[in-house]
Amino acid sequence: MSLAAIAEKDFQDAVRSRGMLALAALFSLLVAAFAVVVRPGGQGGEQFATELLLRFFVGPFLVTTLVPLVGVVVGYNAVSGERESGSLKLLLSLPHSRADVVFGKVVGRGAALSLAVLTGFLLPGLVLFALAQTGALATFNVGAFLGYTVFAAVLGVVFVAIAVGCSAAAETQRRALIGGVAIYVLFVLLWGAVTGQFLDAASGLIDPLPVSQQRVSVFLRVANPTTGVELLSSAFLGEQLLSGETVNQQISAVSMLVFWTIAPPLLGLWKFDTDDL
Amino acid sequence: MTAIELRGVTKEFADVTAVRGLDLTVEEGEVYGFLGPNGAGKSTTIDMVLDLVRPTEGTVRVLDQDATADGVAIRRRTGVLPDGFAVYDRLSGRKHVEFAVRSKEADDDPDALLDRVGLLDDADRKAGGYSKGMRQRLALAMALAGAPDLLILDEPSSGLDPAGAKEMREIVRTEADRGATVFFSSHILEQVEAVCDRVGILREGELVAEDSVEGLREAVGGEETLEIAIGGADGASDAAVDAVHDLDGVSRVDRDGDALVVSCADGAKTRVIGALEDAGVAVADFHTREASLEDLFLAYTEGDAPGGGSEGGGDGADDDGESADDDGDGAADAGTEEVSR
Repeated sequence: MSLAAIAEKDFQDAVRSRGMLALAALFSLLVAAFAVVVRPGGQGGEQFATELLLRFFVGPFLVTTLVPLVGVVVGYNAVSGERESGSLKLLLSLPHSRADVVFGKVVGRGAALSLAVLTGFLLPGLVLFALAQTGALATFNVGAFLGYTVFAAVLGVVFVAIAVGCSAAAETQRRALIGGVAIYVLFVLLWGAVTGQFLDAASGLIDPLPVSQQRVSVFLRVANPTTGVELLSSAFLGEQLLSGETVNQQISAVSMLVFWTIAPPLLGLWKFDTDDL
Repeated sequence: MTAIELRGVTKEFADVTAVRGLDLTVEEGEVYGFLGPNGAGKSTTIDMVLDLVRPTEGTVRVLDQDATADGVAIRRRTGVLPDGFAVYDRLSGRKHVEFAVRSKEADDDPDALLDRVGLLDDADRKAGGYSKGMRQRLALAMALAGAPDLLILDEPSSGLDPAGAKEMREIVRTEADRGATVFFSSHILEQVEAVCDRVGILREGELVAEDSVEGLREAVGGEETLEIAIGGADGASDAAVDAVHDLDGVSRVDRDGDALVVSCADGAKTRVIGALEDAGVAVADFHTREASLEDLFLAYTEGDAPGGGSEGGGDGADDDGESADDDGDGAADAGTEEVSR
């Protein structure tokens, strides 16, 4: 269980960093701040809209922009940092394969990030829950809140996996950093523009196929993990997870999330495995 | 069975050939000292044994398995103290050792291992706060986990004080007594002299000498170094130096301030003193010292300077590490000739 040993060590290492603590605190503060913004204006008895809080505030501002950034930051130096410092020599002097190292890092750092996200959401969640119990809030949808937290963590793990793959392929910290920035810019800022260009360029190729341009465009949109998670989480909040009219899109989104979790680390490993360290 | 076997191994990096056609065999159960100045290719060789670096040509087998294909299986039976490694700053010393024990699927008590390397009192501290020597001890404790069949120690004494280096040697000896093969690299000779069954000297990526410590001593022959303190302000005249140099059995004469350093055969001592007195030089004092491995090491690793220099000590090799110049094997051979003439 070499991979598990590396994942556990990396998790222990990561959760001891001040960055992780700061991260959990930041999430808590932001969720709390949004909760204050959407709180009911008058006295108790008004609906406290958990869904409103998540869908229009926490979602766009926190989850789809900040969580990917944090995932990239947590992941980009996973392998290249150890390579540059020399601790990779200590790690590989033990009976671990390079594949164990790459996937152990994805698991360990993914778990550490998930813990930070869960802690960050649960603290304000507990406060909201307590307020609802005392009657200060009319309702607080615990299930929706917890479920949404899981989606946020999933998105974080996907970005950790992409960044670790990049880190494994990079020969220096500098290149890993450039790769990490590129990942963030591509997936969070430029996805629409890039895929739009791609669609225009490839329209000649798509036309003869038995799929419409429209369908390819939708697929490309949900192929972005942030859009995919957005789609799935709003379906979840609307109680239509993996059902309803967007079910096909949701399935595409789920499979693309799996793809992004596995393919980048594999590609990175392919390069890392042949490198002289 | 062989513990380490390299056949025709060459490693070319983009800008330099680090190792050239290297054949090296380390038998099971022996303590092998791998010597050479900095930049000779020792670390590249060890990195290939550990599969951190893949050879351009040739085969590397460790514990009768292929270094690349069976790397994990090999390292399950191998303890490694790497060179130029870093620790996990945020994890305690004990966590490091626990991780090594778990990785090797061994059942050692981490505290016992930490105690063996003298780190038990600091076991709960974060390794990021450790000194260089403590990090070295920590990596050694990790290497000893699982009672490995093969110990590979890359410059094990770097960062250790003399007492620490002595403890390191004792651990090497204990491990060898247990039956482990020990392969370690060094540019410090005292260590090698004290613990090695066999020594290989690497220079510019090639093995230039390989023998037991006694064998290397014999190669130095009955050669001795005679240090003669000369009385009087003038010291020795050139004529006196020439006279000594012309004597049978004298291979080299150097003037060092008020002293003459003469490399000569065993029986030539009295003739040297006699010749000096005949030339009117007052000999105030003299003493001999046995040619050390240091001398031989310098002879092999430097083109121009044979042994018997007056600098002595273990640090000479370090300082001169970069000065190995490009005149190929010939220079090393010439060096040997000079000592053993």
